[in-house]
Amino acid sequence: MAKVVTEHDYARGVEVLRNQIDAKIASYLSSCVGCGLCAEACLFYTETGDARYTPIYKVEPMRRLWHREQTVAGKLAKAFGFGSDLTEADFAEWQEMTYDSCTLCGRCSMVCPVGNDIAYMIRKQREAFSAAGYTPPGLQGASKRALEIGSPMGVTWKALSAQIGHAERATGLTIPVDVQGAEYMTLFSSMEIMNFPEYIEAVARIFDAAGVSWTVSSKAFEATNSGIQIGSSEIARELVSRVVDAAEGLGCKYVISPECGHAYTAIRWDGPNLIGRPYEFEVVHILELLDQLRLQGRLETEGFDERKLTFHDPCQIVRRGGVEEPPRNLLNMVAPNFEEMPDHGKMNWCCGGGGGLSANEEAHDLRTTVFKVKKRQLEATGVNTMITACANCRIVMEEALEHYEMPVVIEGVTELLAAHLKPKAGKTEKATTE
Amino acid sequence: MTHLPTEEKRQRYRRGLRWAMALLAFVLIVPLIPYGIVAAEGQLGSNTADIWRDARNKDQRDAFRTQIQGIETAVLINNRGEQWRTFREKQLVPYGGYLLLGTLGLITAFFLFRGRIKIEGGRSGKLVPRFSSNQRVMHWFAAGLFVLLGVTGLILLYGRYVLIPLLGPEGFAITASASKEVHNLFGPIFPFAIIALMLMFGRGNMFRLLDFKWFLKAGGLFGGHAADSGYYNGGQKSWFWMTVLFGIAISVSGLILDFPVFGQTRELMAGSHLVHGIIAVVFIAASFGHIYIGTLGMEGAVESMTSGYVDSNWAAEHHNLWYQEMEKAGMVDVEPNALEEVKRHDDIDFKGFGQPNPQTKEG
Amino acid sequence: MFLEFVEGPLWYASVVIFLVGIAIRFYEILARGVKPDLAVPRTDGTAGALRTIVSRSWTAKGFSSGAVFHLVAGYMFHIGLFVLLFFAAPHIVFIEERILGFGWTAAPHWVFIAAANLAFAGLILLWLRRVMHPVMRKISTFDDHAAAWLTFIVMFTGCMALLEGHDGLRALHMLSVCVLMIYFPFSRLMHAFTFVLSRGYTGAVMGRKGVQA
Repeated sequence: MAKVVTEHDYARGVEVLRNQIDAKIASYLSSCVGCGLCAEACLFYTETGDARYTPIYKVEPMRRLWHREQTVAGKLAKAFGFGSDLTEADFAEWQEMTYDSCTLCGRCSMVCPVGNDIAYMIRKQREAFSAAGYTPPGLQGASKRALEIGSPMGVTWKALSAQIGHAERATGLTIPVDVQGAEYMTLFSSMEIMNFPEYIEAVARIFDAAGVSWTVSSKAFEATNSGIQIGSSEIARELVSRVVDAAEGLGCKYVISPECGHAYTAIRWDGPNLIGRPYEFEVVHILELLDQLRLQGRLETEGFDERKLTFHDPCQIVRRGGVEEPPRNLLNMVAPNFEEMPDHGKMNWCCGGGGGLSANEEAHDLRTTVFKVKKRQLEATGVNTMITACANCRIVMEEALEHYEMPVVIEGVTELLAAHLKPKAGKTEKATTE
Repeated sequence: MTHLPTEEKRQRYRRGLRWAMALLAFVLIVPLIPYGIVAAEGQLGSNTADIWRDARNKDQRDAFRTQIQGIETAVLINNRGEQWRTFREKQLVPYGGYLLLGTLGLITAFFLFRGRIKIEGGRSGKLVPRFSSNQRVMHWFAAGLFVLLGVTGLILLYGRYVLIPLLGPEGFAITASASKEVHNLFGPIFPFAIIALMLMFGRGNMFRLLDFKWFLKAGGLFGGHAADSGYYNGGQKSWFWMTVLFGIAISVSGLILDFPVFGQTRELMAGSHLVHGIIAVVFIAASFGHIYIGTLGMEGAVESMTSGYVDSNWAAEHHNLWYQEMEKAGMVDVEPNALEEVKRHDDIDFKGFGQPNPQTKEG
Repeated sequence: MFLEFVEGPLWYASVVIFLVGIAIRFYEILARGVKPDLAVPRTDGTAGALRTIVSRSWTAKGFSSGAVFHLVAGYMFHIGLFVLLFFAAPHIVFIEERILGFGWTAAPHWVFIAAANLAFAGLILLWLRRVMHPVMRKISTFDDHAAAWLTFIVMFTGCMALLEGHDGLRALHMLSVCVLMIYFPFSRLMHAFTFVLSRGYTGAVMGRKGVQA
């Protein structure tokens, strides 16, 4: 079983870092001209003005190692006694830049003139830092719980089945569990299970109305992947494997990634590469599935939500995931007063809690500071209702909104749709409108 | 029978000779025809002084006609050129030299007499933000250009006298050629640098009553306390406006000289050269003062343009009113980088920096 | 004499170092390899790569206002340098006689002057920003300064030799060009070639995810 490294061992980190540099990263580091434009795209820099938070500076250890060991100039310099190797102090210093001040949101990767995917580099640098044990305690704890209990927040199957019970009572529907041969296997994130169980109800009702054959697996229900956040492929692989084993065991055709950003990146894009083979099933994001159902005419709504509302694009789902249109198509079904925020879509600003920051207590204050950019976006739009599709974004933003005393309500796309679901013919259940 | 051919031969020879003489006469006379025509038109008196007067026609009127199309191609001798040459060599070069060397001498004397103006209270170690990175970038951009154009310009003006003895004629020829190309190629950027300076530093540089009080006390240069001053003092404002006015004059005259393809007359060119030369020498002399007081002459001044921050005691001593403002705004003793941070703060009006408090005693 | 050396042996040596150096750098990069992506792509990666290689030449949306200065100066420098390098009359003659065997029409004089001014102003502004701005100070290496100054010296000596009247000035320009070419493959100037790789890789990844990057 994969383990969370808690003892500091920078030499191990250097060794791992060396092997993280693939042709992509080598080309990125070769192309970087140190123009500093990535800083202007990073909320940690724009909201603090601290030059250390310049995205490319966060991967300085990686750049130094690459230059020293993998380029002609660096090797020559080393031979003549110039420059220095990475030290323990470097790891200690860069832990903050690697974890506390990067949400892996990838906004910098979109603006770099030479096309460097800096978020990818930071993700790879985290491999070295996690192997060397230079990780925030919060992330260590989350990863441990994910490995040992099955969820970063320590949510057990028992807890989920209790929530399922609540949902069944509230909806009057049966939520299928461990159904062999179901078409779709649904995952949840612990955030949803613990904080927003209304998502479970919403999914149940929509799937019932649309006639989707689905199931929940008692063996693998957790979508969140702490391994991706702490930057350990080993941990990430183990967590993904659980889902893959369960889905392939049940013979499902699809696995549904829930309203959670990094979960989608982990299961949809990184998963096959982590386990080293393509899946026997397909991964769809809940928003993609709902949009598909809409197109097939299986998702029918009635009534409108007249509130002025906007949509927060979760980085991993939209910018790093490619699910930009579905949430807009879905919102247009029920929200006539939907307004976009400035910089919406693939250039949206991060909530400040991605990349494991929500689990990282040391980054709490910084996370709140950088929320100022979201505050400005909201103020520019002038709405008091924000819809999103990521439970992690949601809880981070709810906390920050409270801090800034902003009267903004956040809801999930799926819930909003479920609230306007057209009752199935022959049923008397009525959609509740707020 | 034998006589005839000889006689005929002789006649033919004579006829040929006559034709040749006629042809020679024609060739010799034809060039005189225009002269004759002019004479026939009565413009050519017996006195050749009139010819020369017209040839160096003062008004540059077309006294003559020519097939060559172009500006002033019908002017045979251009008097302006000679006047300009005389001015350049007899006045601009020597008096410009006296001005430049004299200024340096005065500054040296001032340094010996007054020494470096120290921060009286010593350094507090507390930083006050003064110039943003964009301001500093534009300052050094203009400064770099100024030095480059100034040095190459001075080489062109004084090189014959100073550099030929040092480098020899061949060495000077290369230096002068390179300087001329550099000066002409970089020159057109200067107007943009001046515009940028105006945009970056214009705010707060309007003269106010308190600046004249500052002038009366000579800014405390000769001891005593400097008078009140806001973000900029009278001296700085003067330098700003000198930069703007000299900058415009030198840019306009320089552009006229650099691109002689828009039908400029020689008179305009000579005039532009005159303006360009005089202003350049005065501008350079004035810059010595600016450079001196900004670096060697005053402790704590140069950092405002390098790091962008000044020591709070420097600010209090030299820009007391501004310092009070900054103190009120909580901008004294800030972390480096504060400037970039403040710009991003919504709650502090960054643009308010640099404005002397409207409520101060000047009214 | 000196000019003959600079335009002869030194020039050929620099060309060889330049080309071999670039080849080594590309080998260093490509030899590290990229693992194939096993995730089912949403759209074609190749199309994404090609799009990003082109699209990153245009300004991205979503910068904060702090980037304006850099963007303007950046475009000034790159456009100016491009015109100078490939459309200055002496360069075309050199390319025709020494490299390709054919040439093309030079830019008109006023375009040349404008390009030179843009390139010089842009380069100086970018370097000053590098020295003045806290972010730039943090991320700049010795190499950044060396590359900026070498480029400046090459452009400056080229400008000095503009009259084409003195062999010494021409030799000075050629000498600085040779130094730049020798330095090039071992510096961040490599971005002039590797940008295709970096943009391509990112474009491919994002293309597979269905994001236009």
